[in-house]
Amino acid sequence: MKIFTRRQLPLTIGLFLATLFVLFPLVSATEFSLRQPATSNYGFANYIWFFTAEDFGKYLGISLGLAVVSAIILLVILVPTVIWLNLGGARFRGLVEFVSLLPLVIPVVALAIGAQTALPDFAQTDEIILGFMFAVLAMPYAYRTLDTGLRAIPLQTIVEAARGLGANWLHTIFRVVIPVVRSTVASALFMTLALSLGEYTLTSLLHWDTFTTWVTTMSQSNILGAIALSMFSLIAVFGLLLIISIFIRPTKSNVVAEEN
Amino acid sequence: MTSTTLSLRGVSRRFKDTVALDALDLDVSQGELVALLGPSGCGKTTALRIIAGLDNPDAGEVLVGGKSVTHLAPNKRNMGMVFQSYSLFPNLTAAENVAFGLTMRGEAKTVRIGRAQELLEMVGLPKHAKRFPHQLSGGQQQRVALARALAFEPDVLLLDEPLSALDAQVRANLRDEIRALQLKTGTTTIFVTHDQEEAMAMSDRVAVMNAGKIAQIARPDELYHNPASEFVAGFVGQMNKIPATLEADRVRVLDSHVDYRQSWTEQPGAMVALVRPEAIEIQNTAADQSNATVVARAFLGPMSKVSLVLRDGTEVSAVLTSAQSAEFASGSLVRVSVKPDQYLVVAA
Repeated sequence: MKIFTRRQLPLTIGLFLATLFVLFPLVSATEFSLRQPATSNYGFANYIWFFTAEDFGKYLGISLGLAVVSAIILLVILVPTVIWLNLGGARFRGLVEFVSLLPLVIPVVALAIGAQTALPDFAQTDEIILGFMFAVLAMPYAYRTLDTGLRAIPLQTIVEAARGLGANWLHTIFRVVIPVVRSTVASALFMTLALSLGEYTLTSLLHWDTFTTWVTTMSQSNILGAIALSMFSLIAVFGLLLIISIFIRPTKSNVVAEEN
Repeated sequence: MTSTTLSLRGVSRRFKDTVALDALDLDVSQGELVALLGPSGCGKTTALRIIAGLDNPDAGEVLVGGKSVTHLAPNKRNMGMVFQSYSLFPNLTAAENVAFGLTMRGEAKTVRIGRAQELLEMVGLPKHAKRFPHQLSGGQQQRVALARALAFEPDVLLLDEPLSALDAQVRANLRDEIRALQLKTGTTTIFVTHDQEEAMAMSDRVAVMNAGKIAQIARPDELYHNPASEFVAGFVGQMNKIPATLEADRVRVLDSHVDYRQSWTEQPGAMVALVRPEAIEIQNTAADQSNATVVARAFLGPMSKVSLVLRDGTEVSAVLTSAQSAEFASGSLVRVSVKPDQYLVVAA
């Protein structure tokens, strides 16, 4: 039986090589993280090392909290903005697109210095400031994801139908629009969470400690432990996104609407 | 006497340099279905959107039951609307879509479920309650949209070309169903369309719009037989334009003479008679008595359309019974005349 056609051959080879490219380092890192030089065996000693470390839970909690804060900030600000742009604010689209690209163009160092000099002192006394900064960093990706999703549905008709049926703006956004594009919103959420959980440069420049800076510090004393920690971070983020995706899985009707 | 339910008073709307509505006045009685008919850009959809609250007028008022709703948000107006494009919420089932308006009004779940089922039965989809929009055909989706718009017993039902996305057969069926449902519920309805056949078939009255104004509002038969202007005559039904001449106090159209009425046109001189195809009579005659040549004949079922060219080159269409039209072969010379008093005369 033929598994693939001749036309699919280059695609299959490409896919296979890409899989190798991604999997090989992961498998190698996993193997490395399980090594126990003292006994020349494999085991979970490196994982147990960081799990039992004093500040593991503390910094993981901080990072997760900041990720949630940044995701909420982004959704609260960005979802209504993009809906408005697609309904009647089209003339501001260019300006918003330009602003949304700034975090990609401006170096993180400049962002950090800007935050330190422009923000009032009280805003710099708590690490929650990082939540706002992470939201800014995630904006280019989240904005484009939301905009593409909202452009793919008959937004104006749906909004007008909801309003005509008696829904106020809050009901229209939260009970009609977001459920219709929830897979898009979930994608924006994923990106924001993933970026927030893995952000290091800005955190380090602003002299705050999160899970990523803690991992860097810890890695200086135990290289195998650091690799085990990296593997854990990777799996934890992947697992978190998987759980969210299960909860926000689009219904078939959503998929059809967004495809139309 | 019926009470006025919906009124527009001097409603104007301008988009940059374009006047969409020009001091529009309209009164719709309780339970009446009025069609807004007109070419693209005549302002009919703008008028509907202003009634619904989806757009704001630059001037004028919208009154429902005598009370101004001009500045009310659309969700406060209690109006049901069916859109041209499919507007069902794709993440909700048909029943949930129908119940949406009731949910927004805080109705109890049992009331919502009961009412949704009742409305789905009314539109002939009792077994489709749990289906999602993508599992319904276009016609079924518009039926659900109609049920959704009627579920909360709106003061006014607004239909924005709800049939235009459907194929001919479904369109014809749904047209009759909408009218039957509207009569059954007695809901005051505004129906926007550019399809004159739809407007004539469904409406109590038709408002023909042109350049942001109502050119004429009347019963469909009155509109057809007594159009108030050349625009209305040309827009509603097919109309031949035949050269006419003013002779003393009478107007001569082909071989007919009619008394000249000042109301027809204020500029006597060269004139044009607007004649419906069914008001044209054809007779076989000798070549020297003929005034037209048959060009083509199109079979339309019980009726046939005969295309002719007059001596002066004017093209004319006549509609005859298919049996009558069989007498006139292509190329034959005939005598064409116009039935008395069945035309409108305007300045050329």
